[in-house]
Amino acid sequence: MSRRRQALGGMSLVLVLVWLVGYPLLITLLEALGIPGAFSLAPFLEFAGRADEWRALWHSLWISAASVVLAGLVGVPLGLVFEGVDFPGRRTLGALVALPVALPPLVGVIAFLFLYGESGFVSRGVQAALSLEKAPWQLSGPGAILLVHAYSMYVYFYLFTRAALVRIDASILEAAASLGAGRRRRLWRVTLPLLGPALVGAALLTFMTSLASFSAPYIFGGGFRVMTTQIVASKLNGEIAMAQVESVTLALLAFLGLWAMRRAEPGHTAVVGGVRGVAPIRRQLRRPLVRVGATALGWGLAIFLLLPHLTLLVISFVPPGTWTTEAIPPVLDGSNYRSLASAPERLRPVLNSLWMASVATLGAIVLGLSAARSAVKRGGRMGGLLETLLSVPWALPGTVFAIALATTFSVNRPELGRFVLVGTPWILPMAYLVRSLPLTGRSSLAGLRQLDPSLEEAAASLGAGRLRRVWRVILPLLRPAILAGASLAFITALGDFVTSIVLYTYDTRPISIEILSSLRLQDTGVAAVYGVLLMVVSAMAFLLWGRERRA
Amino acid sequence: MRIANRLRRLVVRRLEETHGMGVLWASSWLLVMVLVGCGDGRTPLVLYSPHGRDLLELMERTYEEQWPDIDVRWLDMGSQEVYDRIRSEAVNPQADVWFGGPDTIFSRGAEEGLLEPFVPSWADSLPPASRHPDELYHGLYEAVPVLVYNSDALTREEAPRDWEDLLDERWKGEIIIRDPLASGTMRTAFGMVLSRSVSETGDTAAGFEWLARLDRQTKDYAVNPALLFEKLIRQEGLVSIWELTDMLFLQQRGVPLDYNFPTSGTPIISDSIGLVRGSPHPQEARAFIDWVGSRQALLLAAQEAFRLPARVDLPREELPEWAQEALDQIVPATVDWKLIAAESNAWMSRWDREIRGRG
Repeated sequence: MSRRRQALGGMSLVLVLVWLVGYPLLITLLEALGIPGAFSLAPFLEFAGRADEWRALWHSLWISAASVVLAGLVGVPLGLVFEGVDFPGRRTLGALVALPVALPPLVGVIAFLFLYGESGFVSRGVQAALSLEKAPWQLSGPGAILLVHAYSMYVYFYLFTRAALVRIDASILEAAASLGAGRRRRLWRVTLPLLGPALVGAALLTFMTSLASFSAPYIFGGGFRVMTTQIVASKLNGEIAMAQVESVTLALLAFLGLWAMRRAEPGHTAVVGGVRGVAPIRRQLRRPLVRVGATALGWGLAIFLLLPHLTLLVISFVPPGTWTTEAIPPVLDGSNYRSLASAPERLRPVLNSLWMASVATLGAIVLGLSAARSAVKRGGRMGGLLETLLSVPWALPGTVFAIALATTFSVNRPELGRFVLVGTPWILPMAYLVRSLPLTGRSSLAGLRQLDPSLEEAAASLGAGRLRRVWRVILPLLRPAILAGASLAFITALGDFVTSIVLYTYDTRPISIEILSSLRLQDTGVAAVYGVLLMVVSAMAFLLWGRERRA
Repeated sequence: MRIANRLRRLVVRRLEETHGMGVLWASSWLLVMVLVGCGDGRTPLVLYSPHGRDLLELMERTYEEQWPDIDVRWLDMGSQEVYDRIRSEAVNPQADVWFGGPDTIFSRGAEEGLLEPFVPSWADSLPPASRHPDELYHGLYEAVPVLVYNSDALTREEAPRDWEDLLDERWKGEIIIRDPLASGTMRTAFGMVLSRSVSETGDTAAGFEWLARLDRQTKDYAVNPALLFEKLIRQEGLVSIWELTDMLFLQQRGVPLDYNFPTSGTPIISDSIGLVRGSPHPQEARAFIDWVGSRQALLLAAQEAFRLPARVDLPREELPEWAQEALDQIVPATVDWKLIAAESNAWMSRWDREIRGRG
């Protein structure tokens, strides 16, 4: 009886996940092929015959590859330094260095515009310092996109490197040292190879993220098209079939990436995964000059990394229309904040984002946890299927997913599982939920795997029912894992821009859309205020996660 | 005091027992839901519009004063984005009124069945060209593309005076224009170039060649008008093409931008309005369209928001000074609007794929 109920539960979870995750994609593919109706490859052939489509595809690929290289070049050394060397302020700085990950994509891009754009603080400063006639550079095209990618994605390499370094057994390094290997040789021949799997993981994460990146190419790309912006441009121009074909192509590319990722999943090497030894001791900087130098460098770096956040804060205090050609804004006051507080209508987007992100996160926790529990309990093929379904949305670029949802849920065919959700307040939270699933699902999976099953058995033998076991045993034990996933999910949903721009309505317009339309309406300051609000809430969620993790 | 303390202890203990986070989350969520759900009982009327805050807030305020039981809500976006959004929502329309955008975009919407026929009371006062034959949309204002320049850096005489001047060697790398894909104004300006090419040479080749030369002159395409103005004000570029209304607004704010009316003629855009098919509040939408084209509302829009009325029955002396001056200076270009409406998407798609950024 209980086993049958379990199988039934597993099946229905699979069905729900397939409906949410796989089905919209399938429908998009079918519609791109002209189904229902006459089957036709015409849009695909047109796609294949157009030079600009291939160009966009190629741009997407090389931008992603270059982002991996750049992010690695920044992130790995930082990770090595912060984990390998001890210097004053290491802990605080170490946390600050991870902050770019909490900056919502659109907000980050806008901040970059104000900072390094032609009229930004830095370029104005350089221009004034060298008394140049023109701005020293232009922030547009592939260079600008790469800059933003490197800034926001090196964090993956940094975090992965640090995590892997802690797991390295110091005895291996000691053995190498006793065999006469110098410090540099140890780094190249021992440490870095041991980091291999972690680096592969970070590289694929970066690759997938930049493949899906939309905000940076949207704002800085201009004529330089990548697949995500190509999709939106096609849709805007009324070429729906082409937008669908482009979405399917990008999805295929992403799945290729996911497949590579699963094959190269870190943690399978003998040394790292084996018996855990003692982590290497951090090198102490003894000479006072070096210490001071390292500290200064560290803080300099932290300020550099925080510049976009600071820029946004400053811009949020610039009253409208007061800043023209000066290097530094002449007037600063709180008028933007006042104008936001005085008009309740303008607070709506904030409330919208908050409730939608909360609902999506709660839903993602429930669904992700149940699916993870089912996957761990049952294992086998059904478990594998559940796990795959949980990670698919993560590989899927937001633009593709938004187009797929808009396609699938604009038809009323309940017998086919298709309802009209376009234009209702439910489609955005639903999109956020699915996009958050991998975060809550994967973290629950990791947590459940580490859980001793005997605890639950003990509770069962003491007469606790299923619900009670979940509520009183599983949930408290999984709290850190769930909160970690949930806070990331919450941040992602709160700052989402890619799916929102396709699916929002008047009643559900989120903060990111309001930022864009404030910019359109020349309310730069108000846009910055929204950006600051987003940043603060995101940082709070991020810190909550940090506190839980430490506890 | 003691009771309060006990209560607090109870609450804290309760929170600890039931995993405080979840409860906190759920309760704050409930609070938010309540706040969001608080309607004020007025009937909402949703406008999708590219008109910008100044006009929209003016219309919202004035209309709500006269009809206190209506709550005017608007979403502001590019005019092509309005079309895209209404089309995407066609199965479940959220907008009541499609408020603004060139009639070339409206005609696409009309073909795709996005509009509902409705004859506003002021329809008879329109020139025949501004009126859709099946009454699906009507011209409300007239939008005039002009040649824009930074007046700190250039005098009126130095600045480009006609379209051809834009291709002058002097402006290489000094032109910044609004991303034409999402903008009705730019689509019309480009459409004029291409339709002229068709009528003069029989095909679009010469027109695309002209646009390619413009692209080589162009330094940057701005994602939205605000960024465009910002870049022009800060002299990242000195010259642009944009629409008269925004220029007048910017000048009113003391921004150093000025404009010339193109001497060989400028395409006068019939900025239209229409009722969205399947609108949730058709009755209210009709009333709004009737009002917004009324003499009172048009004069208000002219005085406060720099809109030229499309109606021909308003006496010229009632229009504000700026409008009378503009009407004196504008040279209307002859443009094949039907051709532009039919071909615009294909042209823009070709421009986007073959010309943009190739220079």
